[in-house]
This record gives sequence, structure tokens and C-alpha cells, in this order.
Amino acid sequence: MIKKEMGRRDFLKSTAAGLGGFVYLSSSEKSPDEKGQEKKEGKITYRILGKTRMKLPVITMGVMNTSNPALVRAALDGGMYYLDTAQTYQRGTNESMIGEVLKGRRRDSFYIATKARLPNNQNTGIYTEEATEEAYSKKIDTSLKSLGLDYVDIYHHHNVWVRESALYEPILNSLVKAKKAGKIRFLGITTHRNEPEVIHAAVDSKVYDVVLTAYNYRQKHAEEVQKAIARAANAGLGIVAMKTIGGNVGGSYHEEKIDAKAAFKWALQDPNVHTIIAGFTTFDQFELDISVLNDLTLLRSEKENLRRAALRAGLYCQGCGSCLTQCVRQLPIPDLMRAYMYVYGYRNLGAAQDLLSSLSLPPNLCGDCSSCPVKCLNQWNVSERVQNIVRLREIPPEFIA
Amino acid sequence: MKGPKAKKICRTLIIFSWTLAAALLGGVPVLEGKTFVFPEISGWRMPEKPQLFSPTTLYEYINGAADLYLSYEFQDLNVAEYRNEREAAVTVEIYRHKSPTQAFGIYSQERLANANFLDIGTQGYREPMVLNFLAGPYYVKINGYNTGVEDEKIMLIFGRKVEEMLGEKNSLPEILSSFPAEGKKKNTEKFISKNFLGYSFFHSGFTADYERSGKKFKIFVIQGNGQEDCRSMMEKYLQQTDPQVKKASEGAYRLKDHYHGEVDLFWKAKFIWGILDLEDPALRSEYLKQFENIVKK
Repeated sequence: MIKKEMGRRDFLKSTAAGLGGFVYLSSSEKSPDEKGQEKKEGKITYRILGKTRMKLPVITMGVMNTSNPALVRAALDGGMYYLDTAQTYQRGTNESMIGEVLKGRRRDSFYIATKARLPNNQNTGIYTEEATEEAYSKKIDTSLKSLGLDYVDIYHHHNVWVRESALYEPILNSLVKAKKAGKIRFLGITTHRNEPEVIHAAVDSKVYDVVLTAYNYRQKHAEEVQKAIARAANAGLGIVAMKTIGGNVGGSYHEEKIDAKAAFKWALQDPNVHTIIAGFTTFDQFELDISVLNDLTLLRSEKENLRRAALRAGLYCQGCGSCLTQCVRQLPIPDLMRAYMYVYGYRNLGAAQDLLSSLSLPPNLCGDCSSCPVKCLNQWNVSERVQNIVRLREIPPEFIA
Repeated sequence: MKGPKAKKICRTLIIFSWTLAAALLGGVPVLEGKTFVFPEISGWRMPEKPQLFSPTTLYEYINGAADLYLSYEFQDLNVAEYRNEREAAVTVEIYRHKSPTQAFGIYSQERLANANFLDIGTQGYREPMVLNFLAGPYYVKINGYNTGVEDEKIMLIFGRKVEEMLGEKNSLPEILSSFPAEGKKKNTEKFISKNFLGYSFFHSGFTADYERSGKKFKIFVIQGNGQEDCRSMMEKYLQQTDPQVKKASEGAYRLKDHYHGEVDLFWKAKFIWGILDLEDPALRSEYLKQFENIVKK
């Protein structure tokens, strides 16, 4: 049975802190504005998600990082009534957990976006023969069952990075049929890399309604992503941004302090970004994200924080150790990269020099190596960085503050 | 060295008076990437070279799910695909985490309580075309395609080979055996590595699901680094509901948590036990007594 579009509903504003209270969805007919136009109601800023006409707070919840139902409840009760999940998150238990939270809530009080993917070649991104229409349709049914819902608002074609896959007919057929059957309201597509190509393909397909894309101040190709987003938004697609903090994901001992608020605001300066899904895991983070809903002004100090953070990006060695077995001189490359980071990321020459002194390095580090066999997983030019940083040994300590 | 060269280097290097966080200057361990050689399996070939993913590139393989793995101190992922003559395919993914507890954490997030469990590695389970197991700091995920009627046999062959190759046979985290037995639902234990209960001042914790007399609830334990660590966590938590609280002392507490409702806690030494979502005061008191006895041991 085909489900009709949501009709007119009451809307209640959230509390001043964005906590407590209960927010009903606003009727899209109340705001027959142009796509992407912003509206401020109370302390929350909303935008329209393209032709879906869903009016969303500019920050909503990406649930993938948490199994804590209390956080999801806080989000829903606090005005973030759009939740993003995926079938692969925690092997389906993320969808089930959300399903438990949604029990007893009015269906028109929230929006759910979820997603699924099929096997593809990890190098080319092209689907393999296992990727059939039938397999994808089963995935959609599995999601609905886990969530305990008759339909979801957006079903995304998950993690695409090449045009050919974005236009892959078996999956598109499955999504279109599911839409006709009332199982999904809108078709989406998600991308973490090669984003412009995927976004353009989504527009060209004339099938997708929403794009979920990585978008942040650190992307080297942010301008291209911006242009692709603009084209998609002008074509009526809803744009949801993710990975907007753009932080280092290197693990426990390289955690950066990133100005998350500034990062969100940076992305939201783009009016073609209709909402950001924030993957908060604490109530503090949730409250910080709520505060952004109130004021999107990007301060000069915040811009400066982002500029510095972008500069530091690409300086964190993940410590995977692959280089240790590749370097024929058996140099302590992770430590050398750390020294490099101290200088070029933190301007702390003293710390870098102390580290170099502690490493018992030979006088001529690269010896007779005419080329460097090290292939860094971060794609760094390791030999260049090594040559650069060891020059610090030539500076007398008294020259360094 | 003095002279123009040094001055040139100094001029090009801008000197600031920044101080690095202790964590950056401290003894950060340099991890050694473990060379992993995928086993040869009779009748199967590897059409392409295995792949290695680091914390930076993990998202390329598992996209948004990567963040959760990273929160469990993910170190690296080795992936290999095998195919046989009938073009059945098996993918072997070996996630290495910093410790067996961290590996258990991510494993527990994805484990279903009613799974078909096997005696493999530390613990494992099987579904059609899936075999996942824990082995020390490794979380192994094996997926099959087109394996047909021999699926179970194929999955087990691969599982045993990888288990043998890894050579790790730990136990599940010891603290799990301390959870009260009555009402505990088997295989529901989870380890949350940070921001336990959604609070940044709680670092990590273990939970288990319970059911008694038709009531479903959770019991949890937070293991601090010592008594003072627990005191600090307790005080911050108590201050959530009553900012006037200055000091906490060992013993039982009942809190009205804005997000979790009524929560009972028992703190002793380096353990904080707690109960969530249980509206029966008598049952709560019963478990609180049990926590007291657990900590005395």
C-alpha cells in the first residue's frame, strides 16, 4: 500500500536548552519555501531537505557510534527528530536498538534514514555478481524488521565511490520498487570518497532524492564537493553532510582537540547543506551540538581554529608500523614522524629535538638508499619528511626556546 | 653549529611557546605492525593480494562503521578474499585491537545473544555464510558467498585455519564472571570503551542484560584505576543531580539521572556497580547487597 505524504501537524518548540519537551514534526506545507531556505523557530534553525520537503534542524543525529538508547531518546526529545543509521552498524543491532527506542512514539514524530550495501570490489568500487536486486530488497526488509517500522523515510544506497556503482541498476530497481511499495519514502545515496563524482551521478540519475556526503574544512577537494553539492541542491536533491568535524581518526593516543562547533558552522555556512548528522556519544556533545542550532555565525576565532586544525591535518602518524618492516635502514620512522608533527603541527621545536636526541640515530639516516622503499598508508613522502626533520639536529639546543 | 645556516633554519622555523599535552610528549608506544600471512587452504586461491587498512583508511572498507571500531583502539585490519573452482568466495577480515578487552568490546557490540555459538578462539558464532570469533586482541569476521550446501563446512575450515594461525586463546574478561548470576541473560555482556552511559567522566564499563519476574533491566560495573579514580567519577556523577555535592564516600547511592531515570549505585574500592531501568525497589536492594558481597571477595 502506498503511504501518502505526511499531512499538516502540530509543532511544539523545544525548551530553551533544547532539552526536555517533545517536538512534533512541522508540516512542510507550512513552509512552501524554496529548497534549502532557512527558518529560525525559537532557538532552532531549520532547513528544507530538498524535494523531500522535510523540515529538519540543521544538526541531527548520526547514531552509528553509540549503543546507548538514552542518547537517542535525548536527541528525539530534544528536537533532533531525524536519526541516521545503517544495517551494517554493529551488525544490525544499531537498527534494533533504535527500534526499541521508537516503540510507543508517534510515527509522525520522527524521521529515519538507514542504508545498506552489497559486496563490491574494494579496489574499484564496482559491484560483484553477488550484488543482485533480490539481495538488496532483502536488505530493505531486514532493516524494516529491525527498526520495527512499516516504512523508513530515506533508504540510502550505502558507501558508493564510483559513478558506475551509483547508477547500478539492480540496486536502483530495488529502491524504486520499495518506494512504490511504500517501504521507503525517498531514495538516498551516501559517499565518503570521490564525492563529486558520486554526487554528479546522483543528479544525472534523476532517481535519487537525497545525498549524504562527507564534507568538511579539511578536505583538499572541498571546493569541488561544494560545487557538486550546489548542483545537486539546485536539482532539488536534499543534502545531508557527515564527517564535518573532519578530525583525525587515528586512535587513542593521537586525539586532537577539534573545535567541533566551528566545524559544524563551517559546513552550515553553505546554504546547500540542509542538515549535518552529528555522531555524538555523550550528553555533553549532544548539548554542544544543540547550541549550534541556535546560532550559525562563524566567528573569526573559530575560523582561525579551523585554519590551524587544517594545517595540522596530515601530520598524525597512525602508528600502524608498516614502515618498520619496509625501511632497509630500520629507522624508527613513527618516532621521526612524531618529531615532524611536533615542529610543523605544534611549533614545538624543543620537544622535537628532545625526541630526536633520544632515538640514537645514525649520522646519515638514509645511508646509500637511492630510493625509499617505504609505502606509508597515509601516502606521505616519508623520506622527504625524514630528511627535513633531522636537520633539527644541527641546531644547537640554546637556539631553541 | 652556528652561522648563517643555523640562522636560516631558525628563520624558517617559527618558534612559539606552545606546550604539548602530556599525552603527546609522554611515552607513546610505537606499535609494530604485525605481519600477517593468510593461510593456504586446499582448493582455494587468492585472486588478489590481501589488503591492509590502518585507522586512517579503515573507513574506506567499512565506511561509517569505522568510528566505532576506532573507539575500541583499532590498530589494523588485514583482509583477504579466497575463491574456489566453483567461484564460491570467502572473505577473511582480521581486525587487530590494542588489547583483548578492546577486541571483546567491539565483538560484544556486534554479537547477538541468541547466536549459534561455537568453541572457537575465545568465543565465536556462526550464521549462514558468516563466522565471527574473538581471539585475544583479534576480532575475526569470515563471510562467504555461493558456498551452497557446504557452507558450514567451508566456514569452519577457514575459521579453524585462521584460529590456528593467530594462535591466541584468551578468556573473556575476568570481570564478567562477577556479574550476579540470577536473571542474567547469557551472552548479553558488553564492554563500552569510553563515555560510559553517555558521560565523558566515566571512562569505560561493562554491562549485562537481565530479566526477572518479567522485568528487564541492566546491571553494569565500572572498574576504575583505583579508589581515587572511582571517587572522582562518583563525585562528578553525583554533581549531575546535585551540584552541591562535594565529596563522595564508598557505599550505596540512589540517583535521579536526567537521562537514565532512577539509578542505583554501589561503590567500593575500584569498582562502581549499578542498576538501570529497574523499577522494583526490593529487587534493586537485593542486587545492591549482592554487589557488596562481590566487592568483598
